Amino acid sequence: MIPVLGLVVGIVAGLLLQPTVPAGLQPYLPIAIVAALDAVVGAARALGERRFNDRVFVISFISNVLLASFMVFLGDQLGVGSQLSTGVVVVLGIRIFANAAAIRRRIFHA
Amino acid sequence: MAADEPWRVNPIGLLDQIAETALDDDYYVVRTGRYSRSRQLNTIVSGFVLTVFALLVTIAAVQTRTDRPATELERQTLIDDIEARQQSLTTREDAARKLRAEVTDLRSSVSSVDPDHDLLRLLTSDVPAAGEGVVIKVDEGDEQVTGGRITDDDLQLLVNGLWYAGAEAIAINGNRLGALSSIRTAGGAITVNFRSIGPPYEVTAIGDTETLRQRFTENAAGRYWESREAQSGVSFSVVGSSDLEVAATPRERLTVKHAKVLEEDE
Repeated sequence: MIPVLGLVVGIVAGLLLQPTVPAGLQPYLPIAIVAALDAVVGAARALGERRFNDRVFVISFISNVLLASFMVFLGDQLGVGSQLSTGVVVVLGIRIFANAAAIRRRIFHA
Repeated sequence: MAADEPWRVNPIGLLDQIAETALDDDYYVVRTGRYSRSRQLNTIVSGFVLTVFALLVTIAAVQTRTDRPATELERQTLIDDIEARQQSLTTREDAARKLRAEVTDLRSSVSSVDPDHDLLRLLTSDVPAAGEGVVIKVDEGDEQVTGGRITDDDLQLLVNGLWYAGAEAIAINGNRLGALSSIRTAGGAITVNFRSIGPPYEVTAIGDTETLRQRFTENAAGRYWESREAQSGVSFSVVGSSDLEVAATPRERLTVKHAKVLEEDE
């Protein structure tokens, strides 16, 4: 119940408040979202496999977001921002797909 | 390590490894004690994290949606800018063409009224010239013999001899010599007006044929070339002709950038 409530509250708050992201943080938002999505899909898989642990979920979520943003920041400072974010997206994308495939296998047994 | 972690399936490459370990290892650690009970999703902490996640996604979506008109506007501005500049480029090219035509008109009108101007252009090799004169053909002899090669000095001497003999216009292999022309060696070849030429060299000189021939063979340059012919096997021939043509000196060798006209007291 609480997770669904959290999702709804988040969406409604975002739609109602429409906060603007500071220009300095804007490049990191998409990468942060991909990293967060990875943590969420991983959590969903763990839930299906009955391995879920909210502590691991929180830590992996925060560390994913921070690490991905930091890598983009570092890349920007080194002048390879786009390449490094491509690398981050590729790795996270593979993880997301692998986890989603595991969930699919568990649900449909295929 | 592989033995007590049976979910590891010997990954082959980096990407395979990422796919194999897609789920964080921490989820596989069985905890005891304080955290052993936090194995359900229905907690405040995970609810909060999901709230943050939903908020992030919504903010990004809203931001992208509101930014889109701005991006579109920027693009349109750039396109307008490009079109405006292309327009101005076309206008300026037209103006340049018009001005160029005007310059040509003015120049032709000047030369038609002022006979001195034509004479000056002929004298400064700005126009092609025709008339009687001599053609001197020189070619290199055996390279092994000392002096078998023709150098820039040789050609300079030849040309000086011709000027001295009364030539009014001289061209080497079709390159007309003007007031700013040079003959020099550059990288193994001889350049005239900064254009490389090679043997055989054909020096066309316009002037009175007989005077030229006579005065050239008698002066130092003629004697020098005769001795070159005799000693080094360099071929050298002077042929008179009543109908010769020399081209104009290229424009870039007639451009004066720094020298200015000094008013004379007459």
